Amino acid sequence: MTETSATSRPIPAAPGYLASALRIFDLSIGEMLWSKRTIFMALIVAAPVCIALLVRTLDLLGARIVENTNMPGPAIFGLMIWVFYLRFMVPVLGVFYGTSLIADEVDDKTITYLFTRPISRGAVLVGKFFAYLGCTVFVVLPSVVIVYLLIVPMRGSLGGSFIDLVKDLVLLGIGLAVYGAVFAYVGAQFNRPLLIGLIFIFGWEQAALAFPGYLKRMTVAYYLQALVPHAMPSDSVLGLIQSIFRESPSLPVSLAWLAGICLTFLSLAASVVDRREYVLEQ
Amino acid sequence: MPIHDQSYRHYAGGRAAPGQAWAVIAWAGIRNMIRKRIFLGLLLFAWFPFVVRAVQMYIAANYPQASMLAPTAQTFRQYLEQQDFFVFVITIYVGAGLIANDRRANALQIYLSKPLMRAEYILGKLAVLFAFLLLVTAIPALLLLLLQVMFAGNVTFVRNNLFLFPAITASTLLQVLLVSFTMLALSSLSKSARYVGILYAGITFFSTAVFGVMYAITGSSTFSWISIGSNLTQVVDVIFRAKPRYDTPWSVSLLVIVGLVVVSISVLERRVRGVEVVT
Repeated sequence: MTETSATSRPIPAAPGYLASALRIFDLSIGEMLWSKRTIFMALIVAAPVCIALLVRTLDLLGARIVENTNMPGPAIFGLMIWVFYLRFMVPVLGVFYGTSLIADEVDDKTITYLFTRPISRGAVLVGKFFAYLGCTVFVVLPSVVIVYLLIVPMRGSLGGSFIDLVKDLVLLGIGLAVYGAVFAYVGAQFNRPLLIGLIFIFGWEQAALAFPGYLKRMTVAYYLQALVPHAMPSDSVLGLIQSIFRESPSLPVSLAWLAGICLTFLSLAASVVDRREYVLEQ
Repeated sequence: MPIHDQSYRHYAGGRAAPGQAWAVIAWAGIRNMIRKRIFLGLLLFAWFPFVVRAVQMYIAANYPQASMLAPTAQTFRQYLEQQDFFVFVITIYVGAGLIANDRRANALQIYLSKPLMRAEYILGKLAVLFAFLLLVTAIPALLLLLLQVMFAGNVTFVRNNLFLFPAITASTLLQVLLVSFTMLALSSLSKSARYVGILYAGITFFSTAVFGVMYAITGSSTFSWISIGSNLTQVVDVIFRAKPRYDTPWSVSLLVIVGLVVVSISVLERRVRGVEVVT
């Protein structure tokens, strides 16, 4: 009896929450980086680079199309940060990846394999969230730097606007984290996460920002836009109205709200994954 | 229980004439969507602007003090523009999974093993999206025109704006045709409806963002042909006899729209196949 117990292998202790999340992160980041979805993301982030390259080439050739406008490079860069990255790329990538964190596993019927491991279910979501963040940050931010290097030297100096670049990189990272957390919750909780996400970013956020009063405080964009060091463009009627009613909370208030939103929604998402029973399609 | 007759049993049902099977697919798709309560709520919500416009017309027709609310030809143009958001949402809700879900379930092979042509399959799927999109664009707009006559008690407005009926019909058909073909082509490219939805939203908003940046940099709207939505706006403006809002010639915008439909048809032709022949 004593001999049997001496030879049997002791059962290793289950990893803690953080260790589990790190293991899932390690597993997921490779899958995310080498997936078809990354091609979609690469196409999206390549477009601003192509446009920057085109504008720079036209400027070097002295084409009239660029001479007509007196916009200096830093202003064009600010415009591109607003229109491409802040209003489009960050929310769309947040929706796309955030809603897929759990929904993909459910669709592929592979969530069972993750849930049968001796780790907390919430840690699965947290690990995947960090993998999403790592994946998007390492694809989006280099694109911003390339656009910066191409555009800013046009009637501007790289050194003069370097601080703005750093601020832009930080705020884009924060944006990806906050939108990702919000849509991770939407993806974990609802059956039609994509539609809800798209209505939120292109319907609710756009409309709420165009109204005076407190409505805009119920958006992520309100706090995120307060961090932007560039002037808000009025490239459309909606943009013009939004710039009229624009009011910016202070930096600490914005950061506190963004951190609060991120942590709240991430914990909500983890708690939903912990409790919810996912029924796989037969 | 013994089996007495082991011979082949002939098909005793009716045989539909070729070219009619699309209606079965369309009707099944429509019924499937109508069963969803959330979708019905969305359709009701999409009719809310119609109610607001109807009230506006009623007040303008019955209270002379509110003459500033009287409808013009542009009221109908604005109404259709307001419906763009609902068109976007319904397109994603209904259209994203139309072919993608069949591809995911390997149902395409089953469909095409029946006496059903590929064109009929595509037409059936297209009809589902077409029906719901017309339900929130053309039908309420034409009903508004009818309501205006009924509230005013005369046909003066319609007689003075006789072009409105063909304008509403042509512009909504153009919009629905473009949106349906684009979405169906995207749906045939993937097995995931979510991926299709985000792809459609990405193309729509990203093309607009690119145009926005080019507009801000160059100070000219010549690049409006880049944006899918702007092309549609430009052509519909011309159809409604309004001043086009961009510098791009409307014929270029129309060409882009036609080009997109042709590309979509070509994608559908390549992707909707029963068996993949590997050479």
